Amino acid sequence: MSTEVKKSNSLLKAALLKIVSEKVSLIALIIVAIYFGTALLTSLNLVASTWNTSIGASYLAPGADALFGTDIFGRSVATRVIKATETAVAIGVVVSIIAIVIGTTLGMLAGYFGGIIDEIIVWFYTTFSSIPSIMLLVAIAFILGKGTTTVFLSLGLTSWVGLCRIVRAEVMKHKEREYIAAANAIGATHSRKLIKHILPNISHLLIINFTQTFDSAVKAEVVLSFLGLGVVGRPSWGTMIDDSKLELARGVWWQLAAATLAMFVIVLAFNILGDALRDALDPKLKGK
Amino acid sequence: MNLYAYILRRLLYVIPVLLGVCLVIFVLFNLVAPDPAFILLGKHATHQQIAELHHELGMDKPFIAQYFDTVKTAFTFDFGYSWASKQNIWQMIKAGAGPSLSVTGPLFVISNIFAISLALLVAFYRGKLIDKFVLVLSIAGMSIPSLAVVLFGQWFFAYKLGLFEISGYENGFPNFIPYVILPVILYVFISFGGDTRFYRTVILDEAYQDYVRTARSKGLSELKVMFKHVLKNSMIPILTQIIIQIPYLILGLIFAESFFSIPGLGAMTINAINNSDFPVIKAMTILSAVAFILFGVITDVLYTVVDPRMKLK
Amino acid sequence: MRNIFTTVVLLLSAVLLSSGCTKKQDVNEKVLNLVSPAEIKGYDPIQADDLYSGREISKIYEGLLQYHWLKMPYELVPNLAESMPEISKDGITYTFKIRKGVKFQDDAAFPGGKGREMTAQDFVYSIKRLADSKNQATGWWVLDGKLAGLNEWREKNAKLPASNYDEEVEGIKALDNYTLQFKLAKKFPQFMYSLAMPFTYVVAKEVVEKYGKEFINHPVGTGPYVLPIFDQGKKITYTKNPTFREKLYPSDASPEFKNLLADAGKKLPLVDKVVVHVMKETQPAWLKLNKGEIDYYSVPKDNFASAIKDNKLTPDLAKKGFILEIAPALDVTYTAFNFENKLFHNKKLRQAMYLAFDEKKSNELFYNNTAFPAQSIIPPGIAGNIKDYLNPYKGLKLEEAKKMLAEAGYPEGKGLPELKYDIPDSTVSRQSGEFFQQQMAQIGVKIKIVTSPWPEFQAKVKKKAVEIYGLAWGADYPDAENFLQLFYGPNKSPGANGSNYDNPEFNKQFEDAVVMQDSPERTAKYEKLNKFLAEEVVAMFGVHRQSYILEHGWLRNYHPTDLHHDAVQYLNIDTAKKAELLKNF
Repeated sequence: MSTEVKKSNSLLKAALLKIVSEKVSLIALIIVAIYFGTALLTSLNLVASTWNTSIGASYLAPGADALFGTDIFGRSVATRVIKATETAVAIGVVVSIIAIVIGTTLGMLAGYFGGIIDEIIVWFYTTFSSIPSIMLLVAIAFILGKGTTTVFLSLGLTSWVGLCRIVRAEVMKHKEREYIAAANAIGATHSRKLIKHILPNISHLLIINFTQTFDSAVKAEVVLSFLGLGVVGRPSWGTMIDDSKLELARGVWWQLAAATLAMFVIVLAFNILGDALRDALDPKLKGK
Repeated sequence: MNLYAYILRRLLYVIPVLLGVCLVIFVLFNLVAPDPAFILLGKHATHQQIAELHHELGMDKPFIAQYFDTVKTAFTFDFGYSWASKQNIWQMIKAGAGPSLSVTGPLFVISNIFAISLALLVAFYRGKLIDKFVLVLSIAGMSIPSLAVVLFGQWFFAYKLGLFEISGYENGFPNFIPYVILPVILYVFISFGGDTRFYRTVILDEAYQDYVRTARSKGLSELKVMFKHVLKNSMIPILTQIIIQIPYLILGLIFAESFFSIPGLGAMTINAINNSDFPVIKAMTILSAVAFILFGVITDVLYTVVDPRMKLK
Repeated sequence: MRNIFTTVVLLLSAVLLSSGCTKKQDVNEKVLNLVSPAEIKGYDPIQADDLYSGREISKIYEGLLQYHWLKMPYELVPNLAESMPEISKDGITYTFKIRKGVKFQDDAAFPGGKGREMTAQDFVYSIKRLADSKNQATGWWVLDGKLAGLNEWREKNAKLPASNYDEEVEGIKALDNYTLQFKLAKKFPQFMYSLAMPFTYVVAKEVVEKYGKEFINHPVGTGPYVLPIFDQGKKITYTKNPTFREKLYPSDASPEFKNLLADAGKKLPLVDKVVVHVMKETQPAWLKLNKGEIDYYSVPKDNFASAIKDNKLTPDLAKKGFILEIAPALDVTYTAFNFENKLFHNKKLRQAMYLAFDEKKSNELFYNNTAFPAQSIIPPGIAGNIKDYLNPYKGLKLEEAKKMLAEAGYPEGKGLPELKYDIPDSTVSRQSGEFFQQQMAQIGVKIKIVTSPWPEFQAKVKKKAVEIYGLAWGADYPDAENFLQLFYGPNKSPGANGSNYDNPEFNKQFEDAVVMQDSPERTAKYEKLNKFLAEEVVAMFGVHRQSYILEHGWLRNYHPTDLHHDAVQYLNIDTAKKAELLKNF
């Protein structure tokens, strides 16, 4: 392994140390861990497995019987908010992975090979980013039909352009560095240079990007639910917020409040974590 | 490469991008969009009527001809007729632009002035308590889903407190004012977090430059440094950011317009999505793509002309 | 910098304060303020296939017949026709005398801008226009196959570059300026109803030709109100038609409407101006009603609890002078099976599912207990509905359902594949889908919910790409035929029979019944067919809904109705009472 890679690894370690050492970012990290843990537990049916069971009358107000009240079918809003964590984390993670895979692959190819390949990829993402993402979301959802897979794919396919740009620029810089020249000298193949040498050196960008994409994917799910393109058959914060647009008239505010709060906390945590990571990993932005 | 050659190249680049956009739109809307027959013919359609309709709409033309029709609309804006309302789409867009602008216009001005002033303020007191406070506030603001803000805002300020019109719209100045105040306030709230953070970064970027330090070391007061040097020099990225927002003004506000019954382009788009009114969705997609490309070019060219430090590729 | 900040804050607070004052309304003017809960799809009568566009069109355009405003059950009376038609003995030829001296509204399309007199030829033109395939009329179904020679005319002209309106069609002829004759292709007594529907309203050829595609925004009819141009805004303002003929408020009424005769004999329309607010979201409209800015509105589902207790208004609403109007709607909701799927030929499976559905709970959750549980397809108020009939397979009867499912060959749902339940993607539909899923789970039937936008949902039904789906059917006209045809074999998708049910025996009985004139014999036949559909459980019939409408004390002559598209001309405003009542707001 080249020294550059080691340096990058140590950078990650240092970043993690820095995050842990600061109170605010540590709390953010813990919150994210709790959400991910909850999602795991609910997916194994260990927690909130009763999300579809009614526990009392319709629209019970928050109180001793139900912490966050009940919904139209008398199901506990609190339990449903917890169950919805699974949906949110799944959307955040899957969408980020799709976006990172597409963005990194195209960005690296463009930056590394340059020339006509670069031209084509740049043209492709310029074209893509000229179309408002809401229109693309709708069109993709129409083609794929409704469902959770559609939510993953449509959000993933519309979230990669930003990362692709950054990766392309970064790879262009790295291409000129001496460690690549050294790899050239020992006759390394393109794929080896790209995967073994360059990728580890830009990995911090992917991590920073993950926090941003996760956030926007979770927020975008609300928009999709409002458009009737959201997940079906299991609770999500987006559908809960969408339900509440009618219920507010009866004074039923708890579903809106609970889902918004749950979403606010994780998005905020990811925002803070993202900032901390950027400060730690991207030293030239320090202090801003 | 000199300046003019760069600008020319940038302008010419619009052509392949526009053709690409039309290709994506064509693939999405002509090849895979659903059959309009059931939307157009109502609940008692017959097989014969469906066949007649397909011929009438030119859906039996070869694909290449249909693609060129799509490209043509990007220049002529002749989008044809809506499936749902049977109205001329360009007329619909013209009718919707005014109401949309009456919300997005004030919003654009207020939110930018607000965010830039706030950013200047916290940049001036950077690192102090107020800076941290505003930073936390803006991150928090960015973390609330905008639908929740609109829902809660309408319910609380308009229903509960009765401070504003719940919904509705009247054409013409000043009739529209009472209807747009609440949506504008809510969207200033929604956008202030991201905007403030962006402008703060831009201003601080400048504040840490060497020449600013030099100026400061020469004994200039912080206030003078801030306005004379920092603000002046960060004007370029700020302006760029402002120009790039303009296409969104035309697109309108999707949630606010439908919740407040403002007959703008955002509400029109939502309607079209709900009705599977593909010609309208397609028209709005083409229109906004053209606007994005156009303002992208303007920003780039402006940047090149104004900023001497910009390196030409 | 500080100054900028302070300025912004000051500006914002100024804006906040100034918004506190909302507009006052002038109470002396006689203006009706109404709500349309859906977008208006233009003003072309032949495209008026949704209720709300039909209502707007009916303010401007008129047809030969209309429903008597103060009679229930619905009764057809002449409107532009001078009298009811002369019908030949064989039931094939209908001869109308047209009212003389009826003028089209003034418009630039006419010489000198003055509307000319309407004649029988205008009806011939309007009917052919409905049939012209180039117009893609959504209303064509009402006359499809009904008039002699009209389908042939349609097919022949479909191939020509321009349709030939001069060619005579046997089924529709103007014998002279004031005599109009229809010849049916076969006996069909329901034909009369189609002459009261917006699709057959009379339009002027000059206007259609002058405006071309923009005709939908330039309505010029013979009716009580005028709208110079439709600008697709959210507020549509109609004014009284100055050249409207001498049409009078009716002087006779069914017993329940005797109290609405105060304006009997007065010249219509009764108010000078009508403002229609297009508001799709229920909450803003409800609030506008509560501020006295609109005259009536149906109580939104989620405001029910705060407005109505024990079918009476809550005291604070009653104090403001509100009146609650309750009226059954001519409709039925149902969960349909797609009979193209052999699985649903198993009658016991259908019965088991129906038995497992808790209608009472559903009524409570989705209709605040205001709907009538539907025992079969024909709603109350239409001949063929069987009073006090109880469907033996209507739920909730859980034990019977389980037994029936076992008899069907799927004990506890074993062996039954997961069934797809298609619904439109609105919030309420999604919730009702979830409820259906829960109900079926009680007997082990697994349901997968599939949501689509409304047009896509319709398309799936038309393409037979559904298994089970939820739907409501509202009457086009007050005759059981309009409901029973939903299960008539030849009407299979893309026709109105989205269930694709095809039973030769039922088809034959249906064909026999619908050509009969209204009579006790026909009612008996309708009842028999109705009961047959119920016990076959061809669909899981849900409820017949009721309208709960809140009107202000100053509104006169109003009653909720499904089929009186032209209601507005009869409504009146008591301005003195309005001024007085508004003081309480």
